[in-house]
Amino acid sequence: MKRISRFILGVMAVGALCVLIFGPRPEPAVPPDRERDVVIHYWEKWLGPEYEAIQQVVDDFNDSVGREKHIYVELMSMSDIDQKTLVATAGGVPPDVAGLWDPMVVQFGSLGALVPLEDLAKAHHITAADYKPVYWNASHWAGHLYALPSTPAAVALFYNRRIFQENAAKLRSAGLDPDRPPQTIDELDRYSDVLTVYVTDAHGNRHVQRVGYLPMPPEWDWYVTSMPLWFGAEEWDARGRRFTLTDPGVIRAFEWMERFPRKLGVATVSEFFTSQGGFNTAQNSFMLGTQVMELQGPWMANYIHHDNPSMDHDWAVAPFPTAVPGLKNVTYCPFDTLMIPRGCKHIPEAFEFIAYVNRQDVMEKLCMLHCKNSPLSKVSWNFLHHHPNPYIGVFEELASSPNAHMTMQCPIAQEAGGELTAIVQGVLALEVDPKPALAAAQVRLQARYEEFEKALNRRMRAAN
Amino acid sequence: MKSVREKFWASVTTYAALVVICALAMIPLLWMVSTSLKSDSEIVESPPRWIPDKLMWDNYRLAISSEWAHFPLWTRNTLIIAVLAVIGTTFSSAVVAYGFAKIRFRGRGPLFTLMLSTMMIPFPVLMVPLFGIFVWLGAHTPIQWLGTAKPLWVPSWFGSAFSIFLLRQFFTTIPDELSEAARIDGCSVWGIFWRIILPLSRPALSVVALFTFMWAWRDFLGPLIFLQRPTQYTLSLGLQTLQSQHGSTPWNQLMAASVLVILPVLVLFFIAQKTFIEGIATTGMKG
Amino acid sequence: MTRGEIRNLLKGLAFLSPWLIGFGVFMFLPIVLSMYYSLCDYNLLQSPAFIGAENYRALIHDGIFWKSLRVTLLYAAISLPAGLVVSLGVAVLLNVSVRGQAIFRTIIFVPSLVPTIAAAMLWRWMFNQRLGLINRALEPLLELLHKSGPPWLAQSAWVIPSLALMSLWSVGNTVIIYLAGLQDVPRELYEAAELDGAGKRQQLWHVTIPMISPVIFFNLVMAIIGILQVFDTPFMMTHGGPNRASYFYTFYLYDSAFTYLKMGYASAMAWIQLLLVLVLTGIAFGTSKRWVYYQGK
Repeated sequence: MKRISRFILGVMAVGALCVLIFGPRPEPAVPPDRERDVVIHYWEKWLGPEYEAIQQVVDDFNDSVGREKHIYVELMSMSDIDQKTLVATAGGVPPDVAGLWDPMVVQFGSLGALVPLEDLAKAHHITAADYKPVYWNASHWAGHLYALPSTPAAVALFYNRRIFQENAAKLRSAGLDPDRPPQTIDELDRYSDVLTVYVTDAHGNRHVQRVGYLPMPPEWDWYVTSMPLWFGAEEWDARGRRFTLTDPGVIRAFEWMERFPRKLGVATVSEFFTSQGGFNTAQNSFMLGTQVMELQGPWMANYIHHDNPSMDHDWAVAPFPTAVPGLKNVTYCPFDTLMIPRGCKHIPEAFEFIAYVNRQDVMEKLCMLHCKNSPLSKVSWNFLHHHPNPYIGVFEELASSPNAHMTMQCPIAQEAGGELTAIVQGVLALEVDPKPALAAAQVRLQARYEEFEKALNRRMRAAN
Repeated sequence: MKSVREKFWASVTTYAALVVICALAMIPLLWMVSTSLKSDSEIVESPPRWIPDKLMWDNYRLAISSEWAHFPLWTRNTLIIAVLAVIGTTFSSAVVAYGFAKIRFRGRGPLFTLMLSTMMIPFPVLMVPLFGIFVWLGAHTPIQWLGTAKPLWVPSWFGSAFSIFLLRQFFTTIPDELSEAARIDGCSVWGIFWRIILPLSRPALSVVALFTFMWAWRDFLGPLIFLQRPTQYTLSLGLQTLQSQHGSTPWNQLMAASVLVILPVLVLFFIAQKTFIEGIATTGMKG
Repeated sequence: MTRGEIRNLLKGLAFLSPWLIGFGVFMFLPIVLSMYYSLCDYNLLQSPAFIGAENYRALIHDGIFWKSLRVTLLYAAISLPAGLVVSLGVAVLLNVSVRGQAIFRTIIFVPSLVPTIAAAMLWRWMFNQRLGLINRALEPLLELLHKSGPPWLAQSAWVIPSLALMSLWSVGNTVIIYLAGLQDVPRELYEAAELDGAGKRQQLWHVTIPMISPVIFFNLVMAIIGILQVFDTPFMMTHGGPNRASYFYTFYLYDSAFTYLKMGYASAMAWIQLLLVLVLTGIAFGTSKRWVYYQGK
């Protein structure tokens, strides 16, 4: 080889050696005084400020309970956390604590991928009385407690009071009260009609400059596909283990959503969706004032304050209206959880951390940082009055109400969610007719569920 | 006989075609470097410019030291796997190839054909049960496989069909007289292998080492399946997760990362050009 | 067997032992297990439950299975012939004695060295509908035609052709193989042809191609085996989208195993893949007698 080639090869070899010897190691960076502690690997889904919040909680734990009991928690952010946790669990090398979403209680629980926690909870004096029922119940599956909440959610109506007041005269002449939010779906429609503003541009085309209410893009979250809840219907009958997509309430809900592209035009709907980029960006139509009302969670307060603080005093929150007379305080409550995958080698230590996060002071600190409501039944005065969302009381009330609904407690909820999302997308693009689409999905999903049950029973028999 | 004019035009068109083709090959890479040195605003500029106003070498620093990218860690992981794979493959394949080339024994032919035919088995057929085997090994033996990089380099210590084939072809070209002479002098079979054949095989061994390194550096499906913890990710896998994780893609940083990933391979190529090209040519010829 | 033969057998097996063990553990055992899994319902979290040919039956009724097969075959239909023509054409060009031949060869080879992730990120960037180099370079022409830039990777109809186009960028290593083959063609044949009055094109068709037909055949077989396993590039660039338009066969296999934990189902898919490889290479071998010409081997 030529001399210069030899030289370059030599340099590369030396460089490689340096990386090998001095490069970063994959093992956790445990501080020297904690090297003999039990190391708990904790995988979380969050990034950015939400990640920093949980990092604070982890640091607090490591400095207090962790130091006492010789436990050191190592936090790691993971993308596709549900899939990665499942494969790692199947591979026998799971994390000790996984921050998954509540539908995984049912999905992973039915696969036998989670460690039941009820005995540990009892030993830590954690009982149903400590939690709002909607969160406690959704943490159970087939008689076992599989998770404890980390941060919960509840959704309600956000409305722009300033725009209401600015259009007081118009609202009153339509027989509506500008000093209060709509209380029924019917009223929501009427408020929305009055507050929607059309403009005609130079070419004579009519555009929607401001919309009263618009469902948000279904890809953003499952609240949209759970719309039937506000129509008094459910999509899954947990007791009968059947899908109920052809229930009249479900059909009415989807037909109500069809109203929007019909009235405003598919182009308008699509434009509103694509221009926003995400519910938490500064282009969110509610924040820009081009949408007067929306269905959202408590965290919106944080985003508004961050991206458009001039709007801070313009908005207010109320329970989202329903279509059934007498049905009040309906909300949908998904939540983030902490679970212990099967195969964890330090179960009691992992649970110590989970129990710590569920202490009232710690939980309230975390939920305030994430700008969410609390999953606990007891809420402190400080939480209610110093929360970044001044309307947190509304969310607290909603999450405690008997009409607070869990996510679909169905082992194939993920697939069902996918199908329903596709239907909503099609309805909002006026490409799909709700009634036949729901009927077709009902048949398909019910068949899939029965297949799943058959496979489950077969596996149980094989295991015995 | 062709006229001078005909010949002139023929070579002009050939040159033109070659230049166009080479431009098509090079332009994407030049664009990659150009983008990697642009600022965030210059990326979206229209019309696109080739040489940025200010050379943002900082993009490289950002790509390496970003909190969510663990570039140095990934490099180290990839290097460990690559080095172990190169040593393992070269050594074990040479041993096996020697057996196929220089030792006459019953059943040698059929076994060789069997080995060649394994090259046709698609990896997906093996990857699912291999995962299951590694899970079982982890549960029933004290050695953990899936939480580590072992599944990626241990199999290469048992020979790779491609390398065995290459080396065996080479070994058969070494005259038997050499080994005969050594045998008469009292050298054992292993001695012949170690002291005579191997030193003569440096070119072929370099090809194997080089190709194995290239394969390990770029391997993606293996790491995707077998590496369970992000701290063990290799460069390919790490960059892929980075790319898929970001909502708004910082193209200049991603291009900087790409340039860094290509560089070692490119340098190796320029040093060992002949080895490379010979190696590839031999696969085609003897196949 | 004689004493000497037995001794040689033992020596041979000793040298072969690494491969024999490796073959047993990392190839033979997995293949057997794969067959068994394909007849089971197995999610790794619970023991396998034998279900016979249920997986295969389900595959036949699975729309996504057929879609992924169609995607893969469509890609093969475009990139196999295109790749063949381009790499052979480039090799022929490079075989002409011109000045700087070595430099041209090097330049054309370099793209095939680029690690897949780097190439994927680069081409995703180049195919970007708004900001990508390709559309921006085409801007003047597009303005003339009053059209907007093609969506490349963003639209179902364009995705596969885009990926096939991208695969042409890295034909370098195939070109090198062809070059080696071209250089083996005896000069005398060309001279004889020229004396007979054959032009360049006729020489190409009647001398060059038949003489390198074994190399073409080899590359064809390698390409078939490779294309059925394409995974990295679509995974990294489009992740199977848009709407499964680039959901290659191996990608669905991977998802079945490592996203849905349906190991049995994935194993059945793998066996069908193996079958396809065997059938296609069998066809190639079968027809080879008609067009592959071995010079006196």
